[in-house]
Amino acid sequence: MKGIWSIVLLSVLLLLSANNISAQNYTVSGTITDATTNEPAVGATVYIKETRKGTATNDKGFYSLSLPKGNYTLVISYIGFNEQEIPLELNKNTKINSKIEPAVINAEEFTVIGEKENQNTDEAVMSTVELKMDKVKTLPAIFGEIDVLKTIQLLPGVQNAGEGNSGFYVRGGGPDQNLILLDGATVYNASHLFGFFSVFNADAIDEVKLVKGGMPAEYGGRLSSVLDISMNNGDMKKYRVDGGIGVISSRLTVQGPIKKDTAAFLVSARRTYAGDLAQPFVSDSSKFKGSNYYFYDFNAKFNYILSSKDKLSLSGYLGRDVFTFKNSDDGFELNTPWGNSIAALKWSHIFNDEFYGDVTASFTDYRFKVIAKQDQFEFGLYSGITDYNLKADYTYLPSILHKIKFGGAYTFHRFTPNSAEVSSADVEFNTGDVIINYANEGALYVSDEWDISEKFKIQPGLRYTVYQHIGPFKRYINDERGAPLDTVEYGKGETVKLYQGLEPRFITRYAFNDKASVKASFTQNYQYIHLASLASVSLPTDQWIPSTEVTKPQFSTQYALGYFRNIFKNKWETSVEVYYKDMKNQVEYKDGAMPQDDSGTNVDNNLTFGKGWSYGAEFFLKKKVGKINGWIGYTLAWTKRQFDDLNNGKPFYPRYDRRHDASIVFNYEISDRLILGATWVYASGNALTLPAARYIIEGQVVNEYGERNSYRMEAFHRMDVALTLKGKETKKFKSSWNFSIYNLYNRKNPYFIYFSNEGNVYNGSLDIKAKQVSLFGIIPSISWNFSF
Amino acid sequence: MNKLNHIISVLLLIMLAMFLVSCEKEIEIDLPDAQTKLVVEGNIEQGRPPFVILTKTSPYFEPTDINSLQTLFVSDALVTVSNGTNTVQLTEICTNQLPDSLLPAVAELIGVSLSSLQTFGFCLYTTLDSTIFGEVGKTYSLYISSGDEVLTSTTEIPPLIFMNRYWYKDQPGYSNFGYIWFELSDPPQLGNAYRLYTKRLGKDGRFIPIFGSAFDDQFFNGLTFEANFGRGKEVGSQAPDDLAETSFYYQQGDTVIIKFCSIDYYHFKFWESFEAAAMSSGNPFSAPTTVTTNIEGGLGIWGGYGVTYDTLILVD
Repeated sequence: MKGIWSIVLLSVLLLLSANNISAQNYTVSGTITDATTNEPAVGATVYIKETRKGTATNDKGFYSLSLPKGNYTLVISYIGFNEQEIPLELNKNTKINSKIEPAVINAEEFTVIGEKENQNTDEAVMSTVELKMDKVKTLPAIFGEIDVLKTIQLLPGVQNAGEGNSGFYVRGGGPDQNLILLDGATVYNASHLFGFFSVFNADAIDEVKLVKGGMPAEYGGRLSSVLDISMNNGDMKKYRVDGGIGVISSRLTVQGPIKKDTAAFLVSARRTYAGDLAQPFVSDSSKFKGSNYYFYDFNAKFNYILSSKDKLSLSGYLGRDVFTFKNSDDGFELNTPWGNSIAALKWSHIFNDEFYGDVTASFTDYRFKVIAKQDQFEFGLYSGITDYNLKADYTYLPSILHKIKFGGAYTFHRFTPNSAEVSSADVEFNTGDVIINYANEGALYVSDEWDISEKFKIQPGLRYTVYQHIGPFKRYINDERGAPLDTVEYGKGETVKLYQGLEPRFITRYAFNDKASVKASFTQNYQYIHLASLASVSLPTDQWIPSTEVTKPQFSTQYALGYFRNIFKNKWETSVEVYYKDMKNQVEYKDGAMPQDDSGTNVDNNLTFGKGWSYGAEFFLKKKVGKINGWIGYTLAWTKRQFDDLNNGKPFYPRYDRRHDASIVFNYEISDRLILGATWVYASGNALTLPAARYIIEGQVVNEYGERNSYRMEAFHRMDVALTLKGKETKKFKSSWNFSIYNLYNRKNPYFIYFSNEGNVYNGSLDIKAKQVSLFGIIPSISWNFSF
Repeated sequence: MNKLNHIISVLLLIMLAMFLVSCEKEIEIDLPDAQTKLVVEGNIEQGRPPFVILTKTSPYFEPTDINSLQTLFVSDALVTVSNGTNTVQLTEICTNQLPDSLLPAVAELIGVSLSSLQTFGFCLYTTLDSTIFGEVGKTYSLYISSGDEVLTSTTEIPPLIFMNRYWYKDQPGYSNFGYIWFELSDPPQLGNAYRLYTKRLGKDGRFIPIFGSAFDDQFFNGLTFEANFGRGKEVGSQAPDDLAETSFYYQQGDTVIIKFCSIDYYHFKFWESFEAAAMSSGNPFSAPTTVTTNIEGGLGIWGGYGVTYDTLILVD
C-alpha cells in the first residue's frame, strides 16, 4: 500500500513540475498515413528502438513523444504494413510524418481483425472491442452482406434481442441502454426488418467500437454500452465503385476525390426487394399474401482538408422502411413509413502537437408512422424523436505520461410519443392533444489517461450531466378511470423538472508484461431518455420518452474486472471479464396497459418504475492470424428486475435474461480465392409469461397468467455458413461470389409460445394445445460483389 | 371505439404475418400449479332477474370433456344481490334438472345457444323475486360466500342511451352482404360505455355480441357520429354462413333485432380486456393481456346492462 502511495505522490510531483521537465525534453510528433489511400494509420505503434518506449497513433494518425535531447531510431509498426525505421536527431521539437507501405500479404500474417499487436493488453480501456469493417468482411455474409449489429452480437456480453427482434442487450440492459453513434450523431432505431438488417451498410463503414463497460468519460447518456461507428472517408486519390447484387438486397457505393488530396466524397445506397424476401415466408393459404415490404437507405460523406491543421467532414444517413398491406376482403389498407434521418458536420482542428480537438454538430430524426384505412375510417398512429446536438471533444498531451481528454455536449430533444388521429368520414374523433415533450441535455467531462508507471495505468474521469424537461408541456392528472381530473400547464421554456448528477469513471490497468494485464473499472452513468415497450417483443411502436417530473433518470453503477492475455506469440488473444451492474429507475408499462391508453394523456401516467441488477462472466478466445482464424465467446450471466407494481413486487427475470450465450466464429481461407466462414450461436431460452390456469366466460377460454416471465423456452442455436469465391482480380476490377446459408441445419428456434383453444366448450369438442412458433428456417442466398 | 383496438391488434398481427411460415408445432409444456380462484359470470338487466354463474379456474391442461368442465361449477354457495333497499338470496338451478320447455328462455337468459344447453348442463344462481329485478339507475351489490372464500362486487344499470338510427348498406364488391350502420350522439360527460348484440330472426337462437362488442367514449365523447359493425358468431358454430368468407357481414333481407346496452366503466373494462385477449391470443406482439375483473376476491364480471332494442330489416 505504502508503495502505491509513494508512486502516486511522486507522479503528482512530477506532474506539477512537468514544465521543468519538459523544458529539458523535446517533442517528436507527426502523422502516419497509409501510402496507398492517404488514410490515417489509426493505432499504429510509434516507438523509440533504443528505449522501447512509445505510443500509438490516434484516430487521425497523429502521434507525439517527449524525450530528452539525443540520437534515436524511431520505429513505426502497423499490422499489414512494412515496419519503418527513421533515424532521429532530437535537439529541438521535430516533426516527422511518414507514409507507410502495405506489406505483401503473407497468408500467415493475415488477420481477421485489424488491430495493434498488443492492443488487447496494452490500453487501459477494457470491455471494449474495436472492429475495422474491411477486415471483418470475411465473416459469413448472410444475404450477401456483413452486418455491423450481427457481428457485435457474436461477442461475449452482447446478446441478440432474439430472432426477428431489433436491438441488442449488453450485460443485461435493455435495448434502449445502448448509445449508437454514427459519426457522432445518435441513431435511435438501428434496425430494418425486425432486426435482420441493421441500418448500417458495411461498405460505408470504416470502424466500429463497442464499449460494454468501463465507459470512458467522453461517452454518456446510456447505461449499458456505446457503439461508436465511423463512416469511411471517400478515397482522395481515385474513384472507386463497390457493390453487390443479391437475391434479397443490393447495394452500391461510389467514392472519389472532388479535388485530389483535398476533398472527397462517398455515397452508398442499398435496397431490399419485397417480393423476394416475403415470398418464401408467406404461405399461399395465408390471408396476408400480397403484402409488400422493402427498405432503402443512403449513406453519404464528404470530407475536406482545409489546411494542415483543419479538416471538415459532413456525414449523412437516410433510411426508410415501407410496409404496405392491403386486404381487399376487409377493405383494409395500411402504410407504415418509418426510419431515421441523420446528419453530422465535424470540424477537426489541431492547435499544436499537444492539443487537438473536434467540434461536431449533428441532427437525428427517427419517426414511426402507421396510416390505416378501413372503409371510411382512417387511423394514424405516429411517434418519433428529433435531436439537435452540438459537442466538442479535445485531447491534450501535457507530457508523455498523461493524455487528458475534456469536452462537452449539448442536445435539444423533441419527443413525439405515440399519438393517434382517428376519423370516420368527416368526423374526427377526439384522441386528445398530441403532447410533444422538449428537453435540454448537457454534459461536461474530463479524464486523464495517466501512465503512473510502465506497468500501471489509470484513467480517472468525471462526467457532469444535466437534464432539463421544459415546456410547453401539459401534465394530465387522471382519476383511476383515466378520465382527466386536472391538468398542469407549463409555458414555453418553463422548467418542468431539472436533473443533474456526477458520473465518476475510473479504469485501471496493470500490465504484468507485454503479454498479460489485468484491468478493473468502476463507472456510474445516468440515462435521461427511455424506451417504453408494450409487447413482449421489440417493435417500431416502442417509443422513446423523456424523463419528466414523474419519470426519473435511470442510473447505474458498474464494476468490472478482467484479465487479458496474449498467447503463442500474440497469435491468440484471451480474456476473462466479470462484472456487476446495478440499475435504478427502470421503466415498464403497468399491468394491463393497452396501446390506446397512451392517447390523450401523458405516456408516463401508464408506466411503473423499479430497479434491476446484472452480473456475469465473459470468456473470449481469439486466433488472430493464420489460414484458420476466428474466435469463441461465452457469457454466463444473470439479470433481474424488481418493480413494486409488477409481479406482486417479487423480483422477476426480464426478457433480457440469458443464462448462457455462446458464439463461435470460424474462418478458413481454403485458397487465395476461396474463403469459408461459419458462425454458430447458442443462447438459453427466452423468458416468457405463460398462463397458469384457465376459466370460461361466455363460452370462451380465458387465460389466468402466472408469474411474470417464469417460463423458459427452449434454447436457441443456429449455424450460418458463407462461402466467398473471389473472381479473377485485375488491376481495375475485382469481384466475388458469395453463397450463404442462414440456419444451416434448419432448426426451428422458438420465437414464442401460445395456447390455441379450438372447438366448442359446450359440446365437448374443446381442444387446448400449446403451440410454439418459429420464424426462420433455412434461408440460402447468393450475391455477387464487385469493385472497380 | 373498438375499431382502434381492432386496428392496433391487426397492425401487430400483420407484423407477425410477414413471418407466418407454417412453422408452428404443438409442444408439451409443464405448467406449475396455481391456486384455484372463483370466477363469476353475472349480469342484471332492467326488468330481469339477476343471475350468476359461479365456476372456478382449472389447471391449464386438465381434461376438457363435458364432464370435466361441468365439475367447474361451484354449488352450495351463498349468493345475495342487494339494490340498496332489498337484499335477496339467489337460488341455485341446474339446467339438466329443468323441463325442456324452459330451456329456450333460460338459454336466452344465460346467453348461450339452445343446442349448448341441450348437451351441457349449467348451474346458475338466480331468483324469481321481483323486488330485486333490474331497474335503470340503481346500483347492485353482489355478495358470494363459498367455503372460506368471500367475493363482492358492485355494478350499476346506467341510464338508457338510444341510437339515433340504424341502417344497412351493401359492402363495396358485394351485392347482398354488408355492415349495419348506426348514428350515435354520445352524452357530454366522459365515461359512457356500451355493448352491442344482434339476433337474426330465424337464424340466431339468442343475442350474440357483435365483433368487438364493447366500446367507450374515449375518442368520441359528446360527438354525434356514424359507424358500422360486423356480425359476431356463436362460439364454435359450424353453420355454413358462419364459416363462409362473408361470415363477418350481415346478409341483405334478414331481419335483425339489435340490442344496444349502456354499461358502467368497470364493466366495460372487463369486456374490453376480454375481447383484446381473444383478438391477441396467438400474437406475440402483445404482452399477455390480463383480463381485468370487477370482482373483489375473485375473477370474472358482475355487470349491469341498460338495454334498448331496435328491429331493422336489412335492405340497402
